[in-house]
Amino acid sequence: MVFTDLKGWLPIDAVVVDGRPGLAWMELDGVDFLEPFFQQTIDRVKSEQPARRELFTEFDTLVQLEQTFDSVPPTGFIFHSSRCGSTLLANACRALTGAIVLSEPPPVDKLIARFITDTDEHGTKAKLYSIFVRGVVKALGQRRTGDERHLFVKFACCSVSQIERLQPLWPDVPWVFLYRDPVETIVSNIQHPPSWLLDEDRRVLASITGTSSDTVSAMTMEELCARAVGSFYSTANRVANNRALLLNYNQLSVAEISKVMQFFGVRPAATEMETIARQSQTYSKSFSEKRTFVADADAKQRAASDHVREMAARWANGPYQLLEQKRLETQTS
Amino acid sequence: MTPTNVTTGRHVVVTDFDGGEGILVDLNTKRYFQLNETAMIVWKGLEQGKSISEIVADFTDSYEVEPDRATLSVERLLNSFQLYKLVSAS
Repeated sequence: MVFTDLKGWLPIDAVVVDGRPGLAWMELDGVDFLEPFFQQTIDRVKSEQPARRELFTEFDTLVQLEQTFDSVPPTGFIFHSSRCGSTLLANACRALTGAIVLSEPPPVDKLIARFITDTDEHGTKAKLYSIFVRGVVKALGQRRTGDERHLFVKFACCSVSQIERLQPLWPDVPWVFLYRDPVETIVSNIQHPPSWLLDEDRRVLASITGTSSDTVSAMTMEELCARAVGSFYSTANRVANNRALLLNYNQLSVAEISKVMQFFGVRPAATEMETIARQSQTYSKSFSEKRTFVADADAKQRAASDHVREMAARWANGPYQLLEQKRLETQTS
Repeated sequence: MTPTNVTTGRHVVVTDFDGGEGILVDLNTKRYFQLNETAMIVWKGLEQGKSISEIVADFTDSYEVEPDRATLSVERLLNSFQLYKLVSAS
């Protein structure tokens, strides 16, 4: 197969095949990313259309193809501290006409994780992974109908730890960091543990928490989550610049989402705002199951164990307060 | 001896990075080469079909460097490119 045959194909995962790192591609002509998460779309397509072709290429193919992609430049990035409304925001972006929304695409976040897990002393690998991340975003942001105008990327929560490596790739792209009260965040993660907390390769969390893999393995999930979200808050606080918008979960409303869109340089039409308002009434992470969204801050606070409160107080409350302070200062300045 | 005509390999892909630096990918060997700003000037000059003396002139225009020293730097880079079979020379 020659490289030009990859028109209509998109990278769906970063993988290693026979010791060769590269990308898994899938023929996705005519497939829209309608689900709240990129992987949900891939799972649906695989289930409904098992004949869709897949192939593996090494990264040199991406570098070669990158120059030929007709892609939408990124409009805005969404970073977050987990369980804080970022999926709601991504869904709102999806309501915009001509928007491509990539919600936690595995090839992007896995490559970002390699900034941590595959390093060398001269930083050459980090530069390579930067180029690959840029190439994958460009690949996923390709115009497929010709009507695409906006590209939004929502990164996995752990990726905020590498934001300083991402910023030079897109220095002018505005980004939002969404976060939530640490106790509520930890309770949500403990009730329904996400894959990033359960990852058996502890190196990413060791880096995020500034500890070792063994130390991470010995932590309770409450401690690990508290230290991770504390680190996310600290990173966001440290790197937030004039291209950044800090947004607390407790601010989320249709009006606030409209402001985020404007921060991203987009003015939603009235019909788009109606769709966003309608969407915000349903549970954001379920596509097929239209559950009604229920504000649950009080319930999360009531569900917090003493251990959750202790860990939040020890590892996350301080960075959270500092971030809140920065947000409030930014709002009033 | 410095070759007079050097052309970049068709099996080599270059990508810009971080405001001037770049990465070369040799599609035959799957090897990656990190180029600093000055190496990128040479590579891009070769891609544009410039002569060695024109590339040296690009060097002296961009940096405060004597022509002799610039020539030496360009020659060293060309030798490296040749060593790794990234260019062909005649």
